[in-house]
Amino acid sequence: MWLTSRLFQSYLRRFLLLWIAGKIANAATASIVKLPPLAFRPGTELIVCAFEVAVLVAFIRRANEDILLGNIGLRVSVALAPLVLLHFALSLALSLFA
Amino acid sequence: MIAGDSITVRLGGRAILQSAYVDAVPGKITVLVGRSGAGKTTLFEILVGRRRPDGGQVRWNGEQMSRPSLPLLARRGLFYHPDRPWLATSLTAADHFALLGRPLVDDRLDTTAWLHRRVGDLSGGELRLTELALGLALAPTVALLDEPFRGLEPRRREQVAAALRLLAERGTAVLYADHDVESVRRTADRLFSMEQGATRLVEGFRERPLHEWYHAWPR
Repeated sequence: MWLTSRLFQSYLRRFLLLWIAGKIANAATASIVKLPPLAFRPGTELIVCAFEVAVLVAFIRRANEDILLGNIGLRVSVALAPLVLLHFALSLALSLFA
Repeated sequence: MIAGDSITVRLGGRAILQSAYVDAVPGKITVLVGRSGAGKTTLFEILVGRRRPDGGQVRWNGEQMSRPSLPLLARRGLFYHPDRPWLATSLTAADHFALLGRPLVDDRLDTTAWLHRRVGDLSGGELRLTELALGLALAPTVALLDEPFRGLEPRRREQVAAALRLLAERGTAVLYADHDVESVRRTADRLFSMEQGATRLVEGFRERPLHEWYHAWPR
């Protein structure tokens, strides 16, 4: 139900943009220190993912949408948990293709 | 039901709330009335766990809650309507009803007229009515509403008052905050007066002159 809702889809769109921005920044940093730019490095991915989620949570709190989520019994962390999985899945897939 | 007991909040050495008490009773409309800045919103935020008090406790059905939170309380049947917009502006009102999994079956607040418009395009009054209509659709056991009449024209205020009365008649414990002390006398079954961060339950608030029990009222 939550995953098919329009609200989750709007968060998914914003998160994908954040993932692209995070990936570009990560790849640029890796190139500077002469590492493969699109390689999957779990520690780095965790830090980038935490940053992406923090930005999205800030957007949600600023719009008081955490109250909307609260009124349907959802914690923000639970609502956004699928996006964490998505981050790692996308990053892993990209590293395999690269 | 929900109660805040001996709630104390200090900010920069100043007491915002001083051992404040408020509760909601099933089937009754309880109103917390006080001037703007009296601490009503702070007290409501503590009840739903959005702010931690320096002292006191929140109870649900008599049970002390160590860490109350809105999602936890909502799963127990609470609906919280804060004093600021809280719907997703990119979604329509219909999307919100779908999110709740509750169809709009009782359009007491006339929200059908703008059901398929984006929330971000609604006027302040339409937005407020949509938020309240969502609360009605949830059929909560406790409704906590911070200034539900703010920004509404008189006809809409009557509609909202009737909707709150209907909720109470269905057994919901309605607790709302307002600063319009004269109008709450008509709506309230129970009334807490809040002044300088302290609350007290007022008996006979309909019959007694305002200045007797509401010290902020000019004599």
